[in-house]
Amino acid sequence: MIFRFLAILLAIVSWAAIPSESFGQTKPKPTGKKPAAPVKPPPVKLPTAVLKPTTEPAMKVAPIDRARRDSVLEAATKIDEILERAWEKNGIKSQPSLRDDQFLRRIYLELGGRIPTYDEASKFLTSRSKEKRVDLIDTLLESPDYVSHFYNYWADVLRLCERPQNNIVLDPYLAYVKEKIAENKPYDKWVHEMLTADGKIWQNPAVGFQMRDDGMPLPYVDNTVRVFLGKQIGCAQCHDHPFDSWTQRQFYELAAFTTGTRTRLNGSDPEFKKGNPVNQLIKEAREKTPDGKASAALQQLVRANQFAVRYNKRDLKLPHDYAYSDAKPNDIVKPKVLWGSVPSSAAKADRREQFAAWVISREDRQFARNIANRMWQKMFGLGIVEPVDDFRADNKPSNPELLEHLTDEVLRLNFDIRELVRIIANTKAYQKLAMIHEPSSSEVYQFASPILHRMTAEQLWDSLLTLVAYNPWAYQRPTAKEISAVVDLDLSKAKLADAEKVAASYESTYFLPKYNRDLQKLCGYKGQLLVRASEIPTPVPLGHFLRQFGQSDRETIEGGRTVGTVPQILAMFNGPITHILLEPGSVIYDDVMKTNNINGVDIVFISVLSHKPSLLDREFAVNEVKTAETMGQGFGNLIWSLLNTREFIFIQ
Amino acid sequence: MKNDALDKFDVLLSRRNLLINGTAGLLGVKFLSNWENNVFAAAPGTKAKQVILLTMRGAMSHIDTFDPKPGRDVQGETEAIKTKTPGVLFGNSLPRLSGMFEELAVVRSLTTETGDHEQGTYLMRTAYKKLNSISHPGLGPWFQHAMGKISKDLPGNVLIGNGNEHPNAGFLESAVIPVPIGDPAKGLENIRSPSYLSDTNFKRRLALANRIDADFREKFSGTEVDTYNQMYKEAVRLMGSKELEAFDISKEPEKMRELYGSNRFGQGCLLARRLIQGGVRFVEVEFGPWDMHQQIFTDLPDRAGVLDHGMSALLTDLKTQGLLSTTMVVLATEFGRTPKINENAGRDHHPGVFSCVLAGAGILGGQVYGASDEDGRSVADDSVSIADFNTTIAKAAGLDTKKEYFAPNGRPFKIGGGGTAIEKLLA
Repeated sequence: MIFRFLAILLAIVSWAAIPSESFGQTKPKPTGKKPAAPVKPPPVKLPTAVLKPTTEPAMKVAPIDRARRDSVLEAATKIDEILERAWEKNGIKSQPSLRDDQFLRRIYLELGGRIPTYDEASKFLTSRSKEKRVDLIDTLLESPDYVSHFYNYWADVLRLCERPQNNIVLDPYLAYVKEKIAENKPYDKWVHEMLTADGKIWQNPAVGFQMRDDGMPLPYVDNTVRVFLGKQIGCAQCHDHPFDSWTQRQFYELAAFTTGTRTRLNGSDPEFKKGNPVNQLIKEAREKTPDGKASAALQQLVRANQFAVRYNKRDLKLPHDYAYSDAKPNDIVKPKVLWGSVPSSAAKADRREQFAAWVISREDRQFARNIANRMWQKMFGLGIVEPVDDFRADNKPSNPELLEHLTDEVLRLNFDIRELVRIIANTKAYQKLAMIHEPSSSEVYQFASPILHRMTAEQLWDSLLTLVAYNPWAYQRPTAKEISAVVDLDLSKAKLADAEKVAASYESTYFLPKYNRDLQKLCGYKGQLLVRASEIPTPVPLGHFLRQFGQSDRETIEGGRTVGTVPQILAMFNGPITHILLEPGSVIYDDVMKTNNINGVDIVFISVLSHKPSLLDREFAVNEVKTAETMGQGFGNLIWSLLNTREFIFIQ
Repeated sequence: MKNDALDKFDVLLSRRNLLINGTAGLLGVKFLSNWENNVFAAAPGTKAKQVILLTMRGAMSHIDTFDPKPGRDVQGETEAIKTKTPGVLFGNSLPRLSGMFEELAVVRSLTTETGDHEQGTYLMRTAYKKLNSISHPGLGPWFQHAMGKISKDLPGNVLIGNGNEHPNAGFLESAVIPVPIGDPAKGLENIRSPSYLSDTNFKRRLALANRIDADFREKFSGTEVDTYNQMYKEAVRLMGSKELEAFDISKEPEKMRELYGSNRFGQGCLLARRLIQGGVRFVEVEFGPWDMHQQIFTDLPDRAGVLDHGMSALLTDLKTQGLLSTTMVVLATEFGRTPKINENAGRDHHPGVFSCVLAGAGILGGQVYGASDEDGRSVADDSVSIADFNTTIAKAAGLDTKKEYFAPNGRPFKIGGGGTAIEKLLA
């Protein structure tokens, strides 16, 4: 009894302790009456970092050119015309258009990766502007939410994680990917930069793409072709491809372009002129300690500095067990592209440059076609070629005219991918009510509307965060510059004292154990970091909410999943994330408590489901709140119930 | 098992045995000595009722584990050690397993069609090639579908590990999707309502959610939404169950936990045993990564040591508790690793030939089936396809491997992928 009383008291105290500026300006002020009894929250306070709203933009994002709006709408109409022709030809019934509230929810989730806040939803739903949809699309595309959401997309495709191997510190590359999305760097230039970058990751974070497959030169080629050209040539690494036309020889010919890429310094580098400085430094460090053990941070730091991408032309040989008659085992292979030719502009460049130039070639179109298909899949739920990384003769596009048109658009836009997304979002087809498409159905999906799908793990996480945190950006992953400043060690002249100094700065900052502890202190709640999914170090541990809901382990390309499982439901029922919402200081708790009357029902519906309740639902909800032991408990039940609807986790 | 009084008695009896043994330095020498007595040997022809599948993710090297090539250049730094059977050698990181060879059926002549992890793992788990147009069930879901659940409350199949790449129920009903467990030490998390939430209030919440959501569920009734409806039902049923302790390995004596190894795989094996005991039909435990492109001779001993520790404890424990006569244990990986040691002192992907292991109910242990050539490069004798291997597993459980199951699109599929069961492996 005493404990219960204490808990309530604590809850009221911490509720009252929130600085008054954390209440939204546009919302009604507290009535002064004693608030309804809170929902008996557990006595854990939310981290203060997320409680403070901020007017500072979380990051700088390249602005959308509003002057181009007419041309965007024209481009959208062209796509609609192509789609409508396909519907007519295939006898496909048109889907109903989205209502404003449905549009609002989808567009926030699919461009910003989260549901709208109560304020954002109210503002949009009450606006009478005829251009409010176009406006909202533009606003979202230049917001940090867009950067975060598309970072999550690329993180899944590029297998982004902080430590792909124990001694590879990939963090600057992760920051780099986010920065390129924020500045909207033309996609072809971005990819070219990654495929040809040289140096240490602190000096040039774009090398991270090549470092991700350190020590695996052949899988690197496979992955690169798969991600950027949409073809699966991996099987041909060991033998002629069983269900496609690629031969093992072709695979090796392509790999010959990048064979000279190294990801680690070795004896041929000036840093190693006087022996292996990595082993030397670690040996010295060990000798210095009584137990012969050097600190983990120092060892990791020194070893991490051995990673640098350098290209020197080198020949590739066929495998020793090459079994086909067109060449002998161990023959040197001449580089040759899989189709087309190396663009003449790169004819005199080194082999790796030639490879990159071929990958991003405009003339060939496959690079443009691949990204067009990927973005279409991202928006509609299914690629025109599906899976998106399996373009081949037997896997035909469901609408070739559409695919070629979108490819033209990518080229016309000079690889401004965000602009393509802007166009697709403005099509009538995209703004239609979601439909169900069963993967095993024999019907060809003609994009009558986007496919109903469950939120990704990240969308769900960021949506729940929206209901909790006034400032979901309390923490962001460090920039490449910030990390470089504390980890760079020049192996060509470093003495042990230098290494120790840098290791000390590393250990107190980005060395993961310490780093994770600091993060927990700043914005941890029951072991969960209350920040955007894009900012949480990955892969997150197995039991984490994000993993339960299918976030990738970052080992396989696009490893994220959205299948339902029992532990997910248990997490929604009883997990800490659900309970945060019922904590004093959470956005939804405060919003509801501020009204202190039955109108809180509408606030809960708009906050969680982005629409007002229907008359019938309102009746159910009001009845629930009125008949609960306390009003607070009733609201708690209502919030919990709405979170546990299919409507909440699916995007219609 | 719960449905079968006799089985239940067996379990109780063996539990008691364990406790009695426990008083005299449990699980140490005495525990292992039960092995020698062989008192719980399965009768010939007994079929497996339950299965534990140990999935080695990232392609386990065959040459460094179950198919060493001593004296050949390809062997590298791994040494071969003797098993109890003359002439049969294992890699030196598997001392415990080599001591229980009489229980193992080692297949050294597997060969697969792809050197891609994702496709290889999919093929091993489903016995079918990954295609765009259809999704195939994993072996666990398929077993649950064909054999039903044992415990009413507990799930029919559980996946301990990462889970994302698992093909799940494929075209089968969503009720057979495995329940994934990330960290075996934590078991099934969030299983209890907070103390302040009464049962009545929980029911109120559910009723309200169902009411408000009714329209949406009807409008968007399809596999994905229906799966979630099903999962909600399963979750509610589980929350009220008394059998949840099966998920809680903290109920095991500390010594038992140590026996399995203080690591995620070992503890996963222990959890698998508890779940089998509780009446889960099929448990898969993932372990890895085995994708050792670099420094394989530095990394492999640790990883193989963990495998040796966990798997040997699992077999011993199952046997001691009388569960091995009804439970099959399978160790599988997607492909092997190259005999040639690469410039980074690692081994690359090798689909040409590799090894997997079967043990327990339905399996005739103490044998090596098939052989690779002198350098572990290709199959020398008795080639076994992935479908053959899966069909053998299904047959060892008494399943009809010729029966056709129809996907919604009308295409027929068979458990085990329509391969040929290897009769020599079957008990």
